[in-house]
Amino acid sequence: MVKRLSVYLLVFGLIVSFSLFLNACSKKALREGIEKKEEAAKAEEKVKEELKGEPKEETKVSQPLKSEETDKAATEAQLREEELKKQREREEAARKEEAAIKEDAAKREAAVREEFENTDIHFDFDKFSLTNQAREILAKKVSWLQGHTDLKIKIEGHCDERGSNEYNMALGERRSNSAMQYLVTAGVEAARVSTISYGEEKPLDPGHDEDAWAKNRRAHFKIE
Amino acid sequence: MKKTGYIFIIFICLLFFSPALSHTKTYIDIDSPSFRRFPIAITYFKNLGGKDNKGDMSKEIFEVLTQDLEVSGLFTIMDTSLFIESPVNSESGNDNKINFGDWSIIGVEALVKGSFRFDNGNLEIEAKLYDVFHGRFLVGKRYVGERQDLRKMIHRFCNEILLSFTGEKGVFDTKIAFVSDESGYKEIYVIDFDGHNMIKITNHKSIALSPAWSPDGKMIAFTSYKNGNPDLYVKDIIVNKEDRISHYEGLNIAPAWFPDGRKLAVTLSLEGNPEIYVLDKDGKRLKRLTNDWGIDVSPTWSPDGKEIAFVSDRSGNPDIYVMNSQGEDVKRLTFQTKYSASPKWSPKGDKIAFSSLAEGHFDIYTMNPDGTDVRRLTSNSGDNEYPSWSPNGRFLTFTSARGGNKRIYIMRADGSGQRQIGAFKGNQLNPCWSPRLQ
Repeated sequence: MVKRLSVYLLVFGLIVSFSLFLNACSKKALREGIEKKEEAAKAEEKVKEELKGEPKEETKVSQPLKSEETDKAATEAQLREEELKKQREREEAARKEEAAIKEDAAKREAAVREEFENTDIHFDFDKFSLTNQAREILAKKVSWLQGHTDLKIKIEGHCDERGSNEYNMALGERRSNSAMQYLVTAGVEAARVSTISYGEEKPLDPGHDEDAWAKNRRAHFKIE
Repeated sequence: MKKTGYIFIIFICLLFFSPALSHTKTYIDIDSPSFRRFPIAITYFKNLGGKDNKGDMSKEIFEVLTQDLEVSGLFTIMDTSLFIESPVNSESGNDNKINFGDWSIIGVEALVKGSFRFDNGNLEIEAKLYDVFHGRFLVGKRYVGERQDLRKMIHRFCNEILLSFTGEKGVFDTKIAFVSDESGYKEIYVIDFDGHNMIKITNHKSIALSPAWSPDGKMIAFTSYKNGNPDLYVKDIIVNKEDRISHYEGLNIAPAWFPDGRKLAVTLSLEGNPEIYVLDKDGKRLKRLTNDWGIDVSPTWSPDGKEIAFVSDRSGNPDIYVMNSQGEDVKRLTFQTKYSASPKWSPKGDKIAFSSLAEGHFDIYTMNPDGTDVRRLTSNSGDNEYPSWSPNGRFLTFTSARGGNKRIYIMRADGSGQRQIGAFKGNQLNPCWSPRLQ
């Protein structure tokens, strides 16, 4: 009888100790699981932060991550990126259009400037008086100058090769002064206009005939 | 400036005391209407030792002698083929050895003989002039220098030859400053009167114009656009130092040295109109001389400094005028054409040279300082402009476009003996003959 009782006690003892052991094991497993979850969450947060800051490193960071949640975050970042790209493209196109308009305007302006600079007025031999043609050209220059009040110009006086070069320096100065006088009388501020004479030293046409000489007896206009 | 340019003839000595007292007798009266050319024989100089590759030096001596005496217009140079005595290797030295009869029989009245020695880079030349007609020695000189001084030595001996025959030294060792565009820019250059030994004076890579020698030959004034505006510069060519002396607004052009070299007449337009002013050498403005609505440029002083001739268009076209040194007593001198310019007063004060436009071309003329006795020196040879007198007034340099481009020419003061000097690329202008140089 006593022998049977001691067997029962032993069995009971074993059951209790086993159950205690199981209990302990399950608690440890639970703790480990919580820790893992926390780590994953931290990693995710870190990835999100990095995505915000440096989208270029997206691939590098997402590689070691296997969880579904980080995949989702990566996709979102990609979407955002694409949207940004589209926006940039839209802005670029707008900018290009604007630039094209500006360039067009600049081209037109440059053409006018070029015309202003390249349309010389001409003089008769040993003369510095303005011809009617010269006055017409100067009138156009006046209106352009009045539309561009920020610009200053320099008028160069030139002569043909005939005659003394010292006299021609003086004559060239007279020619540039004649042109300046016209502009100033027509209302262009004198402070915007300067003059220089090159005499016969800078011919436009190197020839030695009346055609060349006629081209070389000129006042030339430069925007400064 | 290359130091070799002004070399060193270490000494020039009168070898022989000349009992002929050649200076007291004038063989050639240049100014006489009955003047005739003096027949002279030039022999090849004897090589007394040292290297003379293919006889180059001997040939060059002969060529320079011939050229200078030809340019002078005073001599008929006898053809060497007429010489009885062989011209090459003829004896030099002892006067007694010369058989004057051999020379007078072919019509020669003067004879140049000499010798040279080229040793260790040293060149020694001995040159002598004889009066064949009277059978006597006139002048002898010995020159010592380097190979590159050969031409200069012979030029100097030709000066002596002229002194012996005319009582006035030649100008064969003088130089000419001018403008050339051969580099693509207009720069100032200097050459010997015969076109040799070109030296570049400016390197402004701009437009440099109107060189004017100071009376002592040490400086050249000129205009340059180096800083954008036509400003006046003075360059000391001995120490190679350049100063911008005037850079007023507008024109700073046409410099002309006062005879004492301390001031210059120039054209400035700082007061709105091109007028003639007098500046001191440092550019300080001293005095305005002209005051009228027209252009006043290209002043030139009379040699006594009392008068200035200049160009003005106050009566409608450019003409030559004259005024006193205070800007008073203005008189117009030219009336004959519609364009007269570039006046240059002769060193003796007796003439004014200028260029004038007639029949579609510019030509060189001279006139008396009162506008009378106008003589045309060039014709039918394209445009001839920018006359400038040699320091003895016997020659003029000028530019001519007779061959297409404008080139430097020289001629005698009567228009004879016109010849191009040098052969440069591009166009040349504004030649200015130097004073006598030390």
